[in-house]
Amino acid sequence: MSIDVTGVTKTFGDFVALDNVNVSLPTGQLTALLGPSGGGKSTLLRIIAGLDTADTGTVSIEGVNATKLPPQKRNVGFVFQHYAVFKHMTVAKNVAFGLEIRKRPKDEVAARVDELLKLVHLSQFSHRLPSQLSGGQRQRMALARALAVEPTVLLLDEPFGALDAKVRKELREWLRRLHDEVAVTTVFVTHDQEEALEVADEIVVINEGRVEQVGSPDQLYDEPANDFVMGFLGEVTNLGPMTLRPHDIEVSTAPLLAGAVEGTVSRVVRIGFEVRLSVLTVDGQEVMVVLTRTHSRSLGLVEATTVWLTPATGAVVIPSMRPALVG
Amino acid sequence: MTSAILGPPADTVGEPSTGRAPRRRRSARPRNTLTPGAGLGLGIAMIWFSLLVLIPLIAIIVTAGEGGWDAYFQVLRSDQTWAAVTLTVSQAAIVTVINIVVGTIIAWVLVRDQFVGKSLLNIIIDVPFALPTIVAGLVLLSLYGPESPLGLEWANTERAVMLALAFVTLPFIVRTVQPVLEELDADVEEAAASLGATRGTIVRRIILPSLTPAIAAGAALSFARAISEYGSLVLLSGNLPFRTEVVSVRVLTFIENGNTQSAAALASVMLAVALVVIVGLDIAQRRVANRG
Amino acid sequence: MVKVSTPVRWLLRVIAVGYVFFLVAWPVSLVAIRTFEDGTEDFFGIFTDPNTVGALQLTLMVALWAVAINLVFGVTISLLLVRYEFPGKRVLSALIDLPLSVSPVVVGLALLLVFSGRTGWFGPSIEEAGWQVIYDSPGMIMATCFVALPLVIREVVPVLTEIGDDQEQAARSLGANGRQTFLRITLPSIKWAVIYGVVLSLARSLGEFGAVKVVSGNITGRTQTATLIVEAKYQNFEQTTAYSVAFLLAFISIACLIVVAFLRPQHEEA
Repeated sequence: MSIDVTGVTKTFGDFVALDNVNVSLPTGQLTALLGPSGGGKSTLLRIIAGLDTADTGTVSIEGVNATKLPPQKRNVGFVFQHYAVFKHMTVAKNVAFGLEIRKRPKDEVAARVDELLKLVHLSQFSHRLPSQLSGGQRQRMALARALAVEPTVLLLDEPFGALDAKVRKELREWLRRLHDEVAVTTVFVTHDQEEALEVADEIVVINEGRVEQVGSPDQLYDEPANDFVMGFLGEVTNLGPMTLRPHDIEVSTAPLLAGAVEGTVSRVVRIGFEVRLSVLTVDGQEVMVVLTRTHSRSLGLVEATTVWLTPATGAVVIPSMRPALVG
Repeated sequence: MTSAILGPPADTVGEPSTGRAPRRRRSARPRNTLTPGAGLGLGIAMIWFSLLVLIPLIAIIVTAGEGGWDAYFQVLRSDQTWAAVTLTVSQAAIVTVINIVVGTIIAWVLVRDQFVGKSLLNIIIDVPFALPTIVAGLVLLSLYGPESPLGLEWANTERAVMLALAFVTLPFIVRTVQPVLEELDADVEEAAASLGATRGTIVRRIILPSLTPAIAAGAALSFARAISEYGSLVLLSGNLPFRTEVVSVRVLTFIENGNTQSAAALASVMLAVALVVIVGLDIAQRRVANRG
Repeated sequence: MVKVSTPVRWLLRVIAVGYVFFLVAWPVSLVAIRTFEDGTEDFFGIFTDPNTVGALQLTLMVALWAVAINLVFGVTISLLLVRYEFPGKRVLSALIDLPLSVSPVVVGLALLLVFSGRTGWFGPSIEEAGWQVIYDSPGMIMATCFVALPLVIREVVPVLTEIGDDQEQAARSLGANGRQTFLRITLPSIKWAVIYGVVLSLARSLGEFGAVKVVSGNITGRTQTATLIVEAKYQNFEQTTAYSVAFLLAFISIACLIVVAFLRPQHEEA
């Protein structure tokens, strides 16, 4: 394991940011720390980097106990949400910073900077100041700067959080490809489940200072450990005593299957190719159902249609924890 | 432990997710984040600050109290000292009122008006800050003194005191109001106008209330500076007992006569006023910050 | 924005310009006129009087020491106030501004009470160790330090707060130690704020009068600074010399102002 976090607790005043966290992150992989804002995931990343210190617990990087090491001795690359570019230095100087601190020979520094700027497609900007770059370019520069020192692990704190939606999507595809090329152990923090599902090899879901589940994107989506993970990774609704995804509900206009729940369509909203129904069951439960437009049309669904609902075969279903609160 | 969240939480993109958003209220207890190096720096800085500022100021209070309450009040109640205190406080108050009116007008003109020479006016406002106080006195003497081209003979009168205090305190209100006026949202004024407010109403109900904290801060600084002024008065006011002698001059006279205890007694009163102003400003600034 | 009617606008403009003209602009220009009304000879004459030249040299020496001390102290305190949490921080940050509202005469008295060679709290022991503080340059430097103390801090603190500590943390994560981070990242970012602070402190230090008058003893030829010379010469009816030295001081302080005014807008956005 590349990074081992054992029994880490961190409080700010009487706010508990991390509560006895244990997690191991594998070498060479791209891992996402996923969770809602304020859940403690950034704090965990900063503790791994040494930018914050844990109250209790240990952090080891590549087998070395790093708990007491200052950030400059951990050999980690850190990429900040708001880039943290050195405003008074050119792009090339920014990238060279870590190497100059390590007193590498000048020609070696120049060669490495060239290579990295090529890697992040910023070669033509090497003599510009960061203020002349766009947000996406600045973040690529920050990434090159972190990679320049050949870190044991690369840590990214909401790296695309401050960028607009289109650039964010481009950059995360690019990060995935870059990781396949460079293959350095990478951990990134995000609150966007789509980003985590698309980019990561492994996802650690963190909420309220605790690890909820660790697993591959498929595992998390198909076998959520609890209703928080299920709810965080996608939409959920309640059908009788079960929690499941709205697109995992079969709709029919006749009581074909035993155990089907009868209800009336109370609202129909069409969004592009999909149709979202609100169904009021005879028990007074409001169920959300998503189906394709073609399917909806073939069934002739309009408001006040009577329908029967059943979970689809193979649907992910877990018992709902608080039926009174959801629906 | 888990809460019943349906779907992804409404998480705004770009919100700094430092993982520190308070789940429970953060304690107000001050934390200590000093590293050993920073602690050493703080130690050395505090020793210097104590030697230079804190211990000398404490020495004033201790010396003032050495003779007991009776001696203390005797100094303050002596006729000449009392005349100096009344003169200083009344002139400082008059000058502060003038500054509130004229300072706010100057700030308004600098922010909202456009005319040739405005940037020059903007620089001249700072001249009283930069000019040595003794030079300020000489400067005023040249226009309002014996050889005045205006024929004004204000030297050695109460007017000279007022003039000197007005000169050295000119920038305070201008410089505290100006930035606030610059950042005032034009939207708010337009909204008020769209709701039917007249110009007078907008100035009275929208603009002036948002400037009040800045005006108050500037007025406090200006008053504190006025009652402690010394250098600009030396040549201009003539330091005539009962007529143009201010508190600082009185303190200096006590020092020169070797009467340090009386000097300290009077100085301690001035120090108290300065402290009240500092504390008041600190509270006011926090209140403004909370409101914003 | 509120549109003011033309007569009101003119009224406000006339009040503002008129007030500043009669209070500051005209009197200051009169000093220049008085200095040079009999040609430039009187002005350059001050450089031949040994007492005046000595006073100018002393003023410069005291001011440079005070600025250097306040520079180091100011940058250190600014970093501590912005980047660290410690008990008593709020009290310290309020006390830092105190010298701005304390009368210079009170500053002088305060230093006298502690460092006077005869009666001060620490003065006699310091004197025994071979140092004289009061009536000598150390006391004058201290008095000048006191009155100019907050100027560097007031310039640097807002800039430090605004740039945040992201860049410093990035430097740390790239392997820089505390000293390297300060020299390569923090200092270049606050460079202009430090320069403004130094220029303002220099102007204030060269012009200090009241506090220096108390602690220096005002000994002609030994502890008399330029501002003290202005007073002494004026009261001795050597008005030409007084005006000339005053003009020189006014010229330097206004030059400092103009330097700051021209530098500031160019670097504000960077």
